[in-house]
Amino acid sequence: MNHRRHPIALAATSLLLALACTPAAAHTGSMRGGFLGGFAHPLFGPDHVVAMVAVGLWGAFLGPPAIWLLPIVFPLVMAFGGVIGILGVPLPGVEIGIALSAIVLGLMVLLAAKPPLAVAAALVGAFAIFHGYAHGAELPPGADAVAYSVGFVVATGLLHLTGIAFGQLARWPAGRIAVRAAGGVIAFAGVAFLAAAR
Amino acid sequence: MSAFFSGLLHPLVIPAHLLALLALGLLIGRQRATLPPCVGFVTALAAGLTGIALAIAETAALDVLLAATALAGVLLALARPLPTLLSTALAAVMGIALGLDSPPEAISLAAANATLVGTGLGACLVLVLVAAAARCLTRGLQRIGMRIVGSWFAASAILVLALRFARGLMF
Repeated sequence: MNHRRHPIALAATSLLLALACTPAAAHTGSMRGGFLGGFAHPLFGPDHVVAMVAVGLWGAFLGPPAIWLLPIVFPLVMAFGGVIGILGVPLPGVEIGIALSAIVLGLMVLLAAKPPLAVAAALVGAFAIFHGYAHGAELPPGADAVAYSVGFVVATGLLHLTGIAFGQLARWPAGRIAVRAAGGVIAFAGVAFLAAAR
Repeated sequence: MSAFFSGLLHPLVIPAHLLALLALGLLIGRQRATLPPCVGFVTALAAGLTGIALAIAETAALDVLLAATALAGVLLALARPLPTLLSTALAAVMGIALGLDSPPEAISLAAANATLVGTGLGACLVLVLVAAAARCLTRGLQRIGMRIVGSWFAASAILVLALRFARGLMF
């Protein structure tokens, strides 16, 4: 093993060992229960899943710096939407906004649209508010806040990474067709979500 | 001895503390000067734990820690070099908040003190290990990964602060 990797291995081992133990503490937080609940939450909403994957796909299609900027912008703005949802501030057309996110982002991939980075980030950020709002408003009251939020955000990020990974196929001509077709499927699914939301 | 180990693991199993240490560790690891913020953190953590040992009144330590974690996450996502004074100040704020938010559940004074010493040592170890790991992650994709993780930390901390506010748990 390269000696430069030792701190990483040591840190990872320490974390794993610690999470396997249950020390006495004055807090009530549970990393396992709350985390799994939050992690599962975005994965059981197909409208959320396709939109998250579309963000990653589009980022991969746009290339650097969008490939990493969009997955950074999304959770930060989504948290803002989550705050609005948690505080109960009314936001009209949330489900329609979520369905539209799948349609628009899917179409962007299907059409291989390459707008300026600021436009892409603004578009993704605008839709992130609707996704964050829906998740924030649906948070179970008894959930351990920190672990739940971490699980929720990590699951969202992993869906982005799934899209980015699939989007890497666009390096090859046949893969490019597959990625654009995936965008079409996402847009089509968005139309179905929109029909259900109305 | 079990009280000491209980304290040693405390920062690792309390989600808010782990989140804060990971965010701060990665942020410090990305800076040119790592020693001043580490020293600032250790000193402030010792002060916070001493405050707990002296049984000071309940504070808004957790809320401060979460707010500082959100800031550290955003700074990590921005990936800009920070003035040493700013990184040291942030580390100090997080250190004292983490210390004040670590009250031991011990019956005897000796066990409580052992737990506090363990907590301090555990937090410092995690911070140093994460910062050291971050310094090793120098490749393009690794640095991008850290920026993405920074945005996750910030988003999580912001959501938790909102939840605490909505549930009336804020100090």
